[in-house]
Amino acid sequence: MLRDALLVCGKDLRIELRSKVGLNQVAPFAAAVLLLFGLALGPTTAALKPAAAGLFWVAVLLSVVLAVQRSFAIESADSARDGLRLSGLDPAGIFLGKGAAIVSQLLVLEALLAAGVALLFGARLDGALVLLAACVTASVGLGAVGVIYGALSSGARVKETLLPLLLLPVAAPVLLGATKAWNDALSGRPGQADVWLSLLAVFAVLYVAVGTVAFGPLLEDA
Amino acid sequence: MSGYIEAGYVIVFGSLGTYALSLVTRERAARRRQAPPPPDATSGVPSGQASSGGERS
Amino acid sequence: MRADRALRILGLAALAGMVATVWLGLFVTPNAVGYPDGTVRLLYIHPPLAWVMFIAYGMATLSSLLYLWPRTRHVRFDRLAGASAEVGVVFTGLTLVSGSIWGRPTWGVWWTWDPLLTTTALLFVLYLGYLALRNVPGEPETVARRAAIAGLVAFLDVPIVFFAVSWWRSLHQGPTIDLATRHSYVHGSMAWTLLLGFVSFTLTYVWLMAHRYRLAALRDRENDEGLGAAIADRWAEAVR
Repeated sequence: MLRDALLVCGKDLRIELRSKVGLNQVAPFAAAVLLLFGLALGPTTAALKPAAAGLFWVAVLLSVVLAVQRSFAIESADSARDGLRLSGLDPAGIFLGKGAAIVSQLLVLEALLAAGVALLFGARLDGALVLLAACVTASVGLGAVGVIYGALSSGARVKETLLPLLLLPVAAPVLLGATKAWNDALSGRPGQADVWLSLLAVFAVLYVAVGTVAFGPLLEDA
Repeated sequence: MSGYIEAGYVIVFGSLGTYALSLVTRERAARRRQAPPPPDATSGVPSGQASSGGERS
Repeated sequence: MRADRALRILGLAALAGMVATVWLGLFVTPNAVGYPDGTVRLLYIHPPLAWVMFIAYGMATLSSLLYLWPRTRHVRFDRLAGASAEVGVVFTGLTLVSGSIWGRPTWGVWWTWDPLLTTTALLFVLYLGYLALRNVPGEPETVARRAAIAGLVAFLDVPIVFFAVSWWRSLHQGPTIDLATRHSYVHGSMAWTLLLGFVSFTLTYVWLMAHRYRLAALRDRENDEGLGAAIADRWAEAVR
């Protein structure tokens, strides 16, 4: 299973490196979201700075939708999905592989967004350890539910509108936990973030487990 | 007593009643469409909506 | 048919219960101390609505599980899940409306980020998505299996959402629809009306779900027969 996961992850990442859709489209989208927030709440950082954590994570959440859509769009070209099924790869491995690819891209995106938030909203990135921990656990959780819902909606003609509708409500706890953790870190109370980090961890573990188990039946029909 | 409360009761029970009515009406309509089975295969008029495994609700 | 008659009796009982609840709730029971403007009357409908919402979603999840489990895989569980979820969404919407109306005379706001209410709002959106997924065309088994998995994933999120929102709220004390502590003051005709509310709404839920289930069964049969007739037509054309 792990070998298959590495295979799929490597494939997805190589496709990304070659096509650079993440770099050319998802990252600029995230930057645009930050700018729009700035326009909506600026021009002073009076409203932006305290809200920096929340705005950061909303931008991440919106970008995850794009990343997941992209992850599954590459499968629908040239009946790649059938090829994937017939290849005999372990479905759990496919889940973990695609998830890992999305998580890697997310982490890079979050680094860029963090810089953007520091620059545009005047946020000081204190408590870096907590910030990082929140990013990792949140990204794993988001990647897991993203792949699950991406697979669920990939067969539909209305998938562009279906995926955000399905994914964003389920991701609400991640938004809550990550924002609170970041808030605690940014305002100099990193110790208080434990509760939120555990929430993020529980979410991540739960949905990685669910995806690993449920991906087999999911792939059968897509 | 605040008018909001009465409005609330009206909305709640009214919505439930409307939903119930819509269910019963749709059920009757579906029953009616199914009542006379197609007499033979060459009649050329399929009963109801002939969609191939399409929309389910 | 016996099922028809049973359903009709159930419907009449539910209707009688609802009428009685309205009459008792609005007219017979007194106003209560601590509940401004007669908001106590919402006590007879808001908690029962929330209760039904939970059993509706619980039923949908249980049916989804049964459908996914190979030994109990049967289309009836898929239909049950869909019917229960749809009725659940109706009750969720009404829970939100009644909760919102509670807030208005009590605190002057249309919305409070109360943990239960916020969780309910998220549930509303979650299950609207579930219903949207069910409507996506495809092979019946595919649709059913997809929906069952989505239902399970959504339901697993519910406790997480609730805890997250509760922690989130505990940081800022704000207006809460706090029913738990007030139940000790509920007695006499109010207690009976509350009980009647729970019972009537539950009966109504069962009745609504039964009819929604039937509707789904009828539609499935219609689709199958329509397909059969269309195939027969093609055969007939080929023979000619």
